[in-house]
Amino acid sequence: MTPATGPRPYWLAAIVIGIGLIWIWGASSLPPASRYAGIGPRAFPTIIGGALVLLGIILALQISRGMSFEAQEAENADAHAPVNYAALLMVLAAATLPILTLRTLGLPLTAMAIFALVARAFGSRALVRDVITGAVLGSLAWLLFDRLGLQLGQFLPIAGF
Amino acid sequence: MESLEYLMHGFGVALQPMNLLWAFIGSALGTAIGVLPGIGPALTIALLLPVTVSIGPTSAFIMFAGVFYGAMYGGSTTSILINTPGEAGSMMTALEGNRMARRGRGAAALATAAIGSFVAGTLATFALTFVAPFVAELAFVFKPADYFALIVLAFCSVAVVMGNSRTRGLISLFLGLGMGVIGIDNMTGQPRLTFGQAELLNGVELTVVLVSLFAIGEILFVVSRYDPGKEAPLVVSGKWMTKQDFSRSWRPWLRGTAIGFPMGTLPGGGSEIPTMLSYTLERKLSKHPEEFGHGAIEGVAGPEAANNAAAAGVLVPLLTLGLPTSATAAVLLAAFQNYGLQPGPNLFTSNADLVWGLIASLYIGNIMLLVLNLPLIGMWVKLLSVPKPQLYAGILIFALIGIWGVSGSEFDLMVMVLVGVAGYVMRVYDFPIAPVLIGLILGPMAEYQLRTALTAAQGNPATLIETPISITFLTVAALVFIVPMLVKRLRQRG
Repeated sequence: MTPATGPRPYWLAAIVIGIGLIWIWGASSLPPASRYAGIGPRAFPTIIGGALVLLGIILALQISRGMSFEAQEAENADAHAPVNYAALLMVLAAATLPILTLRTLGLPLTAMAIFALVARAFGSRALVRDVITGAVLGSLAWLLFDRLGLQLGQFLPIAGF
Repeated sequence: MESLEYLMHGFGVALQPMNLLWAFIGSALGTAIGVLPGIGPALTIALLLPVTVSIGPTSAFIMFAGVFYGAMYGGSTTSILINTPGEAGSMMTALEGNRMARRGRGAAALATAAIGSFVAGTLATFALTFVAPFVAELAFVFKPADYFALIVLAFCSVAVVMGNSRTRGLISLFLGLGMGVIGIDNMTGQPRLTFGQAELLNGVELTVVLVSLFAIGEILFVVSRYDPGKEAPLVVSGKWMTKQDFSRSWRPWLRGTAIGFPMGTLPGGGSEIPTMLSYTLERKLSKHPEEFGHGAIEGVAGPEAANNAAAAGVLVPLLTLGLPTSATAAVLLAAFQNYGLQPGPNLFTSNADLVWGLIASLYIGNIMLLVLNLPLIGMWVKLLSVPKPQLYAGILIFALIGIWGVSGSEFDLMVMVLVGVAGYVMRVYDFPIAPVLIGLILGPMAEYQLRTALTAAQGNPATLIETPISITFLTVAALVFIVPMLVKRLRQRG
């Protein structure tokens, strides 16, 4: 194990412990085991919560000993490259956008917007082409999956169809 | 030879024109997707899950079988031509295959990979034909306690085998298990961990978690460290396999199959270990060990065969016990559940058409894939020139449709963003992804079996270690856990 350089990610352990505590707390309001079976709905969530707390503590110990974390390898990504937060936020915005627009604006328009956003985040400069591609792709996908019986909402809710 | 009779019947199902068409669509789609970066077989099948609404189960599974094998054929192409293994199983192929392509032997590398995949796929499917009904018979004896022990074994192996750290593997597993308990408790009707959200009463959908972890997490990760890849794909060059290539390849194909299939059937076997084992073995046995590291054909033939054979092996526990041991198998299980089917020993009798049609279509899919991949390789390579920005943008749209089309709820879209961010963090800090899915899908099963066993025994926990089967499984599970620790200790001392 090579000692980590830079800040130590104790927050990872904190999140794991936090989730564990929430699960234990959530289980505590459940009815206890029935006398007959000796086990009820409370047991499993409690065990899982307890295990997460324990694992979180072990993780914290490993971090304090200087464990290093190497990002995973992925295609088209350089694990050691400096992190491009602007691009990351842009894609995150694209992923969040449909929560607001999918029902009101429909799939084709939403697809158009997120396609342009993601392509831009990856460095595409052809905005007009991306907007058109996104709209076409969204419309085609809507037509195809609608025929397959999927409920994707209205095509263009603003126009009423 | 009952199996053969059933298999013939299965061919009758799989050879119907419509089903042949589905097999073709699946194989072509699978190959295309295997070539494209960013999407693996698990994600593809998850994104195709919505079609289960409109096509019958037999056709759907025949298509999924094509995707399943096709993605692996496609994966070897990218490994060889641009040195980017899309999944753990093709890492070893990239090692030697890419060197071969650089030395102008790309065509031979691709050919030995494709033929090796075909040989291994066919032989492993053949083994599956005979092993699966046998295991299914065995499984009838399993009591709830035995199932529970088996699932515990699967948990232990998955957490230990996948990823580089046991702690982080276990954290992934328990996060999945934690999500698995959300929703109404099947045995008492109590809502658990729903935090007052009506949307959570039905639990967390596997599709949502899988699409978010794989697609959203992957896109976030890649965009934050985007490397447009200065390397252009190598041109497919050189002579096709020569006589010497054949004589150097056929033994590795067979050995790879022999390693891959049994390891694939084990819980937590996966494809990493068999391919690595096969690579090491070929290196030891080769008459040209000096070529390893510079493009030895044995180093492509063996691991590639092992990879495909392991994938077929994964189907044995899935079909006979309902036990998924890889991310892809977990999605296939979800697909079964979408149809209200429960894989397990009963499936072989209650849905013989489906099971044998699926197995027969694995044979057919393999032949189709060989045809699609040997002469048409140039066409698939063209897919590599799809510009990456637009490719990843397209993946996000399909991820969105996969989630919105199933539920039509904004709540699931919020879950998608949240889990997607979690997937990003997991990639940055090297937490393995697959244990989350295994935990999510097997957790409820483990709990059900445990509670059934305890209820039947009036709460006496001794029932869990009453049968030889459960004792065996639990012992092996403990060993899986303890042995690597001991080995590490011994090494540190020595």
